[in-house]
Amino acid sequence: MNKIIITLFSFFLFLGVIKAQEENFSKVFDIEKTKANLEQLTEEISTIKSQFIQEKHLSFLTENIISKGEFYFKNPGFLRWKYTEPFEYLIIFTDKNIFIKDEENISSFDTESNKMFSEINNIMTGTIQGNIFNDSERFTVEYFENNQQYLLKLIPKMQEMKSMLQSIHIFIDKSDLSVVSIKMTESSNDYTSITFIDRKLNTTIDNDKFNIHK
Amino acid sequence: MINSTSINKLKTGVPLFIIFLLFGCSNPYKNLTKTEFSAKNITEIPYSLPQSEKTLIYKTSIDFYQRNISGLLIIKKTEKQNYRIALTTQFGLKIFDFALKEGNFEVVYCIEYLNKKSIISTFEDDFKLLLMQNKFEQIYTFQKDKQKYKGWILQSGKINYYYFLNTDNNHIEKIEQWKRNAKKISVVLYDYNNNLPLNIQLEHHNIKLKMNLKRIQ
Repeated sequence: MNKIIITLFSFFLFLGVIKAQEENFSKVFDIEKTKANLEQLTEEISTIKSQFIQEKHLSFLTENIISKGEFYFKNPGFLRWKYTEPFEYLIIFTDKNIFIKDEENISSFDTESNKMFSEINNIMTGTIQGNIFNDSERFTVEYFENNQQYLLKLIPKMQEMKSMLQSIHIFIDKSDLSVVSIKMTESSNDYTSITFIDRKLNTTIDNDKFNIHK
Repeated sequence: MINSTSINKLKTGVPLFIIFLLFGCSNPYKNLTKTEFSAKNITEIPYSLPQSEKTLIYKTSIDFYQRNISGLLIIKKTEKQNYRIALTTQFGLKIFDFALKEGNFEVVYCIEYLNKKSIISTFEDDFKLLLMQNKFEQIYTFQKDKQKYKGWILQSGKINYYYFLNTDNNHIEKIEQWKRNAKKISVVLYDYNNNLPLNIQLEHHNIKLKMNLKRIQ
């Protein structure tokens, strides 16, 4: 299970941003081999530290809404996701709980009990953690590739999710199997795109990073 | 018949708290001297928020009974008297997307768990009030607190929408919605910057709903 959970983290390897484009992708021929490649790399990852840039596209706006921040991951399944611009918002995932710090207000949720909250946020964290990617009950996954990248297209199966999202596209750099970006498209065609930059692997991350009070 | 019964009840002793309640609910603006606002055009009211062409983004927290919804509220005037109001989570996922076209409210999208008639109509009331998009029959103006506040009342049947302007800084600082003698919604707007409020707090008085908005763009 841990392997599954951290699968996607293996993709967050070094290198700068390569603009994700959906052009010239064709279907991956040997899916099992691709999967095996990705999982093999996963085993070597204990921590990830990265910056991210999030772009929100809304059809009625001419410019996208940009937010930025940082995230830390530590095996097995500790995640710190922090927005720093243009607002501060911190969310920490541990194996059983979700903690949120919104300015000075701290709240916590049991991942099992708070269904609505989890549903929305799991899409995001699940994509990063890989449990969405491997969730064949809830998603159909299609594998595409071009010379530089893999493109994983996740289509939700469950009605509840379908009403929110029509697809999640994950772009992976072939040279190091790192996730370049994630694009979540809503039923209205509005989308959120998150690009990961300045990724550092297997550096020492203090456990305090996953303590909401510190 | 109903009246005489009520009077009899009063005579036979009504608990004091009911009297308190009646007085407590009475509209304090009832006896203000108000004059008809001849313009009949809301754009004559110096309320900058609905007139801004900018994309306004507010970090928003909504407390709704036991629930808390937080995210980014985006308000955009798309055309004259046409608005889009959308709330997304911090992660970007849309929670709702409403359109206001010349006072007509339209749900473009709403996440399933909030897509209930009563909730939607509450949001409709809130955003129409905030963006001064309620339909009205008449506008009145009035003065309050020794001229410190100047106000406008948009009247529509039994409902009155009050917009209070602080004459010291020329900003709308308070908005209230009353139905007969009961205050339904109040809004305070403060810390104006570039003619737009950095903070907005909206509160319902008959249901447990509070909205807290902090401008980030």
